[in-house]
Amino acid sequence: MSYGFSAINTSGQVIISDEMENLHFLGKATLTGNDGGSDNVYGSDGRIIFTYTITTSATPLVFIKPADYNRWHAVMTQSNSGSNWTFDVIVSGTSSSNPPELFCFVNANNATGTSETHGLVVWKADGTTRTFDSRYNPLAISGGGNLAPATCPCNDGCPTTTSGHPWNYNTLDHDFGTSNQYNSQAISGTYTNLMFSAPSLAQAVYKRQAEGYKCSSHPSWQGGCQQHWSTAMWWMMYRNGFRIRNGYFDAGWITYASGYSFSSNHESGGWFGGGGGGYSTGSMPYTAKTINQTSNAYMTADSTRYG
Amino acid sequence: MSHGLNIYKADGSLGFSTLDITWMQIDQFTVAANASVSNSYPEVTGMTVIAQIQMINDPPESQEAYAPEVTISGTTVSVAPYTGKTSEQVIIMVLAQD
Repeated sequence: MSYGFSAINTSGQVIISDEMENLHFLGKATLTGNDGGSDNVYGSDGRIIFTYTITTSATPLVFIKPADYNRWHAVMTQSNSGSNWTFDVIVSGTSSSNPPELFCFVNANNATGTSETHGLVVWKADGTTRTFDSRYNPLAISGGGNLAPATCPCNDGCPTTTSGHPWNYNTLDHDFGTSNQYNSQAISGTYTNLMFSAPSLAQAVYKRQAEGYKCSSHPSWQGGCQQHWSTAMWWMMYRNGFRIRNGYFDAGWITYASGYSFSSNHESGGWFGGGGGGYSTGSMPYTAKTINQTSNAYMTADSTRYG
Repeated sequence: MSHGLNIYKADGSLGFSTLDITWMQIDQFTVAANASVSNSYPEVTGMTVIAQIQMINDPPESQEAYAPEVTISGTTVSVAPYTGKTSEQVIIMVLAQD
């Protein structure tokens, strides 16, 4: 370049420039509540959704700093109304204790409120737009990579029988839990200081189903019965979550919601047949499958630099 | 260190250094549901570019919620629904590393 400013790190990478903007620490988002862990049924690992807010005219990049590194975390949604930003963070387990912290980073020009008196500020050629301002703790990362969650969220693999088991079938062909379904990459640093930023996009629905004939009767029918072809189905919906543990970053799954459906078609005609008809209630979100299962870039950083 | 740049705070603690690694923020924008966007960033020529995708809405319990496909080709970042699929509204954060 003929003029301007750039700083190059020991790996030869430009890390400060008068043309491109660094991210700077805006602050921690404020925890405003949680959903009480609704939808925790059917023996899942459970989940709770914590809600956070922060005010900024920029779009913040968020890092999650777990308080409990045994739990899985993900920013499920990020939305704004004007400069008021709201984040829903899904965390595995049912305890509302130990919510994670959310560290928010924005470009220098939208970082405000510091009382720091020393440092370095770099402006663009327009003389008014800051690209770097050391007073606002510029983001430095400690690692990262690309990672996708395991294809199937269900412990012991996805169900191989998708059309339905007979009534009274008592073999568990898959587990709705997710604890052993993840992919990992090695990371460095004191893991209990680390925070991460990673897109949570993948989601999945899987089910357990039983179906078959049942008959209903009345003493006056003298042993006859009306047949019902009935299907009962329990489903679990999952969302991609992440975990930091000693030496590794994991992309796995968190149970998000669950439900059931039941349908029954009544026999019609025949000696003891009934009048036909049927009954149904509930439905799956969509046909059992995993969607959005792509490899996404993630970053880790040392949270102790940002208080 | 024997050479490089250290930037200190008023209390003498280190704020940033040429020992650090970072990602530059190139752009951030919202893509509406089922929309397509393509942006070029000549300033990132020769750099590694990533795009972080953030869902805006809760996943519905009545249908699939597909994320759009993000394609990075040189200095161009393109966002569009996957072929034959719908896509949800998302925030895209474009980052670059030298």
